[in-house]
Amino acid sequence: MLAILRDLLRYNREFAAGAALMAFVLIVSGLSFFSPYSPQDIYLAPPDVPPSWAYPLGTTSRGQDMLWQLSFAIRNTLLFGFTVAIISRILSLIIGLLSGYLGGTVDRVLMSLNDTFIVIPLFPILVLFYFVMRDNMSWALLALVMACLGWAYDARLIRSITMSLRTREFTESGIFSGMTTRQIVTQEHLPYVLPIMFSTTMNNINWSIGLEVTLSVLGFTNINTPTIGVMIYWANQHTALVAGIWWWIFFPVALVVITFIGLFLLAVSMNEYIDPRSRLSRMGGAPS
Amino acid sequence: MQILRALALASSAMLVSITAFAQGTISNLPREETIIIENPEGTVKNPGWFNYWAVNAGGRSTGLQQLAMDTFWYIDPDHGIDGVWDNSLAAEKPIYNDDFTEMTVKLRPGIYWSDGVEFTADDVIYTIETHLNTDGLYWSAPVQINVESVTAPDPHTVVFKLKKPNSRFHTLFTVRWNAMWMMPKHVFEQAGDPHQFDFNPPVSLGPYTLHSFDPNGKWYIWAKRDDWDRTTVARFGEPGPKYAAYIDPGPPDKRVIAQLNHELDIIHDVAPEGMFTLARESDSSHGWFAGFPYAHPDPTLPALIFNTQHEVFQNPDVRWALALLIDIRAVSMASYRGAATISAIGIPPTGTHPQYYHEPLEQWLTEFEIDTGKRKIKPYDPTIGAQIAEMLRPSMGDAIPSDPKEVARRFGRGWWKADPEAAAELLEKAGFTQQGDAWYTPDGKPFKIRITVEGEARPVMTRAGSMIAQLWRQFGIDATIDVAEGTLVTRRNSGDFETIMSWSVETWGGHPDLSFFLDSWHSQFIADPGKPQPPRNWQRWSHPELDAIIEEIRTIDFDDPRGIELGHEYVKLVTREMPTIPLMSYNVFTVTDDTYWTGYPTADNPYTNPVPNWANTKYMFTKLRPHKMAQK
Amino acid sequence: MSSYGAYVGKRLGQFLLVIFIGINIAFFVTHMTPIDPVEQSISAATSFGSTSPEAIEMLRQSLRELYGLEGTLWDQYLDFWRRVLVADFGPSLSAFPTPVSFLIWNALPWTVGLLLVSTLIAWVLGNLLGGLAGYYRDSRLLRLAGVIAMAFHPIPYYIVAFVLLILFGYVWPVLPITGGYQMNMARGFNPEFALSILKHAILPALSLVLVGVGGWFMGMRALVSNIVTEDYVTYAEYGGVDRNRILTSYVMRNALAPQVTGLAMSLGAIFNGAIITEQVFGYPGIGTLLVDAVHAGDYSLVLGVTTVSILAVSVAVLLIDLLYPLIDPRVRIA
Repeated sequence: MLAILRDLLRYNREFAAGAALMAFVLIVSGLSFFSPYSPQDIYLAPPDVPPSWAYPLGTTSRGQDMLWQLSFAIRNTLLFGFTVAIISRILSLIIGLLSGYLGGTVDRVLMSLNDTFIVIPLFPILVLFYFVMRDNMSWALLALVMACLGWAYDARLIRSITMSLRTREFTESGIFSGMTTRQIVTQEHLPYVLPIMFSTTMNNINWSIGLEVTLSVLGFTNINTPTIGVMIYWANQHTALVAGIWWWIFFPVALVVITFIGLFLLAVSMNEYIDPRSRLSRMGGAPS
Repeated sequence: MQILRALALASSAMLVSITAFAQGTISNLPREETIIIENPEGTVKNPGWFNYWAVNAGGRSTGLQQLAMDTFWYIDPDHGIDGVWDNSLAAEKPIYNDDFTEMTVKLRPGIYWSDGVEFTADDVIYTIETHLNTDGLYWSAPVQINVESVTAPDPHTVVFKLKKPNSRFHTLFTVRWNAMWMMPKHVFEQAGDPHQFDFNPPVSLGPYTLHSFDPNGKWYIWAKRDDWDRTTVARFGEPGPKYAAYIDPGPPDKRVIAQLNHELDIIHDVAPEGMFTLARESDSSHGWFAGFPYAHPDPTLPALIFNTQHEVFQNPDVRWALALLIDIRAVSMASYRGAATISAIGIPPTGTHPQYYHEPLEQWLTEFEIDTGKRKIKPYDPTIGAQIAEMLRPSMGDAIPSDPKEVARRFGRGWWKADPEAAAELLEKAGFTQQGDAWYTPDGKPFKIRITVEGEARPVMTRAGSMIAQLWRQFGIDATIDVAEGTLVTRRNSGDFETIMSWSVETWGGHPDLSFFLDSWHSQFIADPGKPQPPRNWQRWSHPELDAIIEEIRTIDFDDPRGIELGHEYVKLVTREMPTIPLMSYNVFTVTDDTYWTGYPTADNPYTNPVPNWANTKYMFTKLRPHKMAQK
Repeated sequence: MSSYGAYVGKRLGQFLLVIFIGINIAFFVTHMTPIDPVEQSISAATSFGSTSPEAIEMLRQSLRELYGLEGTLWDQYLDFWRRVLVADFGPSLSAFPTPVSFLIWNALPWTVGLLLVSTLIAWVLGNLLGGLAGYYRDSRLLRLAGVIAMAFHPIPYYIVAFVLLILFGYVWPVLPITGGYQMNMARGFNPEFALSILKHAILPALSLVLVGVGGWFMGMRALVSNIVTEDYVTYAEYGGVDRNRILTSYVMRNALAPQVTGLAMSLGAIFNGAIITEQVFGYPGIGTLLVDAVHAGDYSLVLGVTTVSILAVSVAVLLIDLLYPLIDPRVRIA
């Protein structure tokens, strides 16, 4: 395992870059454990101070030190995004593979279920959910709900890929050589599916963070815990963009972009690695 | 590659050519003769509906109530052009008989609808009878409850016979934001069911008629009537703007940008930071006050309202303790960035109220005492308003006045001094205990409080609530805010809250009478827990002394000076009992731009309320003049 | 071909079932709203005046009768289905008695117009760039384009929209920032109106495209990177086929199928409206209608908008499923 990581770091620039960016983001979120301020308190620092020595990222109009707020925000946002992505990946993978390979009634039933989930407009459901849950709406609950609503799109994608894979020659040869369904699925199909999975995971993390930001900006989440979306919500409330408090918007957004690019680079380089031909070509082995 | 290059070239060519066709804000209308105003209703869902009398989501403050509707009397929230009371469609004040069971109204002659028909008593009779006979219209209920019959002895006199004595029946027709408007009989009698009729285009009684509107609800344009002199505002002069456009300008940041671009003449409300930006960046933007706090104080009193039906809040000592934990300076800074007018008493510090209530009661407040169980203290600190001004002076400089009278007018007078020690003593007197850092109720449960706030729709109140929760939290109470967003109204009305940032006190502004809100505080109207509470006694609090005050007000005339004395008694009672914690006035950051128009009302010239969704703003139009002309 | 016919039949059955279930779920969820539309209407009518408590109770009663809220949930359910089958969603509760379909019809064309155009542009651009980037691995320019597209993708849409607004509406004010067309312009089939619409759509469309391109880009790139290592591609390259031709005819055509799936579903999702776009740019559409309705507890309107959305997405998904076997010959109907 370590050898693999070492190889990747040495030969794959993209992986190295991605790892560096993610390390940076993780360090920033790790800072939150050392914060001298409680994330919910306001007016503990002079408001609207631009980035300076005393306050490296400036302070907000609510009198909070941007550095510590941001560390909490990115930590919560990452946790949220990863939770949603992992749960919904598992769901979509299982359902997509099963449906694509088994076909028939199983496919029909699962796809009907899937379609129902795709078809229901997300936003009114989430908002209504929020109204009903109110006080008890925790981030964990929201993540669970979003995961349950977010697997449908990608399950279909996986199913369509599986369907076309199923009719390929190597699958047939796999069946003829006596491999079980499980073996075929894990050893033959998964390597094709995984690269797509990674990019859909990226998309999914992005989607869940985006949806969280949308809901937060409109005020439909718990605005007491700082996340990137909640930070933008408060910046909005204080008309930060127009009042010239650019650092309140710039730093959270920059951090999200860095996170995303880091994850993307990691995903892309891991894709390459998993596919033996491209791995070899990168290391200068096979003819390009 | 070629494809990309071709694409890039094509799109930039298109962009350049489109931007070359510069278009102004309004098509086909002279900008210098048009005033553009924000309508806080936003995008109107059902834009083609102008029938104000049906309860529907057509726009109301789209210019409809400000420019096209009219009724008997207007009370100004500030000082009025010619006194606070204006006889609009009526020629005189209401004439009651001795026991307030009959009201006579003398109508003003020479008023015409915009389609040329004269306004007479027939329209009044038709309006009242329609509401008597149809349920579910906007004013069906108050008319059906109060009016026995209505007759017109001559075309300019109407006599109402009431079902029971009501010394304030005339308030139904007295505009404070809105009131019962008069329907045109000749239009509605042909229209069939008043619930189904959209009244499009509307026939105006006011000085403007509908020119055009957006079928998607984003703008309404009104044009001055050629016969404006046959309307009630003619007494004050010709309205200045030829056209008035009411628009939905979008989120607060966008309103600031629009005014900086001189595409929005009156902003209804904006966050304090937006106001400061405008004050800094634009010489032509002005608020109500020339300097800090800029905002117009509406006759509404935001307060921290307790749900006194909850056991934990039933002891006035507990409520007082929580009040003494609040540092109003921090709350003012957190919510309005200091641009707030504080008030310790249950009356908004606006309009003419300071001279009737705040000033005379200052002495009593300074000497007011409470018993904490261990000692007696005088909690009132008369210098807090001045302290806030001093806190702001270093960063705001000249914008902060030095004259103590000005400071008192803009920032308020005093408030309760933050005193955690006294608060602790009061809580202990009430049976609460402190273990470590946390406080526990007399039953031994942790002392938890939720403050319900509205969220994005009312950002300043949300910030105030957050600050108060933090102050309580720092003391050892488990306090947080609970954002209700769209459900605030439902929750407030049904009592589904522990404490809430809202207002249960709203007054006329220009007139000292308190019945506008006080009447509904009578114990007869208090709903059972869980049932909807009619406005405005959100705190569901009752007291026999309060009932006595209210009942006496009901029997005396609107202008009787005894009313002010009773008002003082009310203030003293709620100060002792503290059913709500009054905080500050509801400051609306209405910003006017004088690039195209001047003559707006300001604190130095308070002839009316500039807040544009008030129907009272019709008076403003008569004083507006195009800027270039005013310079002469 | 008869197996295809049977497939179509089964698929149609599934389609109807899904719509039925979807609309039912929407019905029950919207009726679960804790916001009472009557209370909201009353509040709107009484919050500014001083109405006596008995008057309010009376108004409440009248409105309940008027809105037809008497009767059990089951009655309302049956009534709803009876009406929906003739495309009548009933009157809106917050804008009584204006019919829900009228309100939706008013706002829908703007949403469809804007989102259709933006989605298509983002799709075409994203796939083009993604395909090129996935195939020409070494091109610096394409790598840069990729990084830019991906840098925009995660930026919260609200920020992108607002920064564009400030840039082009304030700092360099060349584009309008509010409305679907210029105020007071006469609507109609004339070039002036069309130009106005176009001009007002530039910023909203631009913001949507900027944020949307990244997603398609990544998807296409991943798909292409898979295909690029296939034998037939390598063979074609050795065979001397022009690289551009390989890209378009061999690689992208095979990669396009899942992207077409995605496009169809995105097009279906148009009917959800773009709420933040509408808020920031003041653009008319059903997004604001929906949020408004949710806040007012107007479940008739919410249900109407939701049903339209469900129908649109279902039709999109149905079309994909019917066309997919025709596009990709490797897929055989089981």
